[in-house]
Amino acid sequence: MLAAFDTHIFWEALKSRPYWTGALLAIELTCVSLAAACVIGFFLALGRASRLRIVRGIVFLYNWIFRATPTLLQLIFAWYALPQFWSFFAGNWFRPFLAAFIVLSLNEAAYMSEIIRAGLLSVDPGQELAGRALGMTRARILRRVIVPQAVRIVIPPTGNEFITLLKLTSLASVISLHELLTASQVRAVFAFNYAEAYSAAVVYYLVIVSILMVAQAQLEKRFTWRSAGRRRRRVAAPAVPAVPHDAR
Amino acid sequence: MNDAVLRAEDVHKSYDGLEVLRGASLEVGRGRVKVIIGPSGSGKSTLLRCLALLEPVDSGDVYLDGERLSGVRERELARHRSEVGMVFQRFNLFQNMTALRNVMTGLVDVRRLPKREARERALEFLDRVGLADKADNYPEELSGGQQQRVAIARALVMRPKAMLFDEPTSALDVELVREVLDVMEGLAREGMTMVVVSHELRFAQHAASSILMMDEGRIIEEAPPQQFFSSPSHERTRRFLALVE
Repeated sequence: MLAAFDTHIFWEALKSRPYWTGALLAIELTCVSLAAACVIGFFLALGRASRLRIVRGIVFLYNWIFRATPTLLQLIFAWYALPQFWSFFAGNWFRPFLAAFIVLSLNEAAYMSEIIRAGLLSVDPGQELAGRALGMTRARILRRVIVPQAVRIVIPPTGNEFITLLKLTSLASVISLHELLTASQVRAVFAFNYAEAYSAAVVYYLVIVSILMVAQAQLEKRFTWRSAGRRRRRVAAPAVPAVPHDAR
Repeated sequence: MNDAVLRAEDVHKSYDGLEVLRGASLEVGRGRVKVIIGPSGSGKSTLLRCLALLEPVDSGDVYLDGERLSGVRERELARHRSEVGMVFQRFNLFQNMTALRNVMTGLVDVRRLPKREARERALEFLDRVGLADKADNYPEELSGGQQQRVAIARALVMRPKAMLFDEPTSALDVELVREVLDVMEGLAREGMTMVVVSHELRFAQHAASSILMMDEGRIIEEAPPQQFFSSPSHERTRRFLALVE
């Protein structure tokens, strides 16, 4: 028997409402932040390839700032320091969720831009040339030809980013966002049931990530360019240089 | 006036200080087929890209149907590019589209044709290159020869004033070269204006109105096939032909 592990308390924690809502909040925050990061990251990726030196400079500065500082610091900065810089952020509208969303999406965009850039570069430039020869504009070539192919390259590393981001949402507990980690902390200290309370949180994270992995595999299949009958045959996507995973 | 479909006059073009074209001039009359040969690095592909309006020239002029297009703004140029068909050595098909979609795209995105009409016309042109049954296949499911024929259909469907071919068979296995050349010879017979960079001398003999020898960024000799092969006037041409044959 385990020293002091009470399965009943564990189950109670697992089923409790704060865990459930905390988990949903973490998933929500992850999804909206990642979506925003993809959009911002896409334009950052385009900006890096810009002909204008100033645009490339801005992108460099952006990536530098968000990658060189800890995410935890960025969260604390946004929540506590920003309102002191600008009273605009002192208003009631600036809620923990919004602060966390802004920080996580801006932060994640810096990483996504690298991934998206690799994806865009992976498409053979001959196809862009062929599109131009047909009289297509660059924007249209991007939309019709390059982006759909880049997506396939971008999916697997983005899955990783989703996982990273999901875990980063736990940092938002320091700015009083009631996400999953906060829920387990509250329950843990309530009667010192650390083992049960935190184990329940572990289970939640494992389940969420597992569901994501299945979804990712499904998505990858959809972006394989083969006719219907043969789609099942797996084609290895070209390798993308891994983005170094630093501690954020 | 000049009724050439395509004309290049004293075109110069450099990349990073390296002068690739040094005063290349050429004129292609309606329904003529010009085959350009020459050593690698002589500027054949670059000349073709300038004619296809894909590369701005440093100096000199490019005319399409008598209209001077060198120096025209990018936005305007896109429209004119669709009037010249270009076929590449490596096919350059859109990998995320079926053969049919590859052929349709120019009609839908550039010519703004309704989808149904574009589809019908694309099928008609796929049929012309003998690939109607491959309409729903993706490029990676097709052989090189089939891919190149789709690429030809993709360019043809725009009803271009001229077709440019940049070594269209040199990336193909020997058994697949014939099917592509057959399509090209058919086009030549139908009176398509063509400029072909190729070392397929048999094709040149059959289909060319004249053969051009290019060397060091210039066209140094032009003659009808028979004369070109039997009595080339330029020493450089003689040496090159000896190597190719």
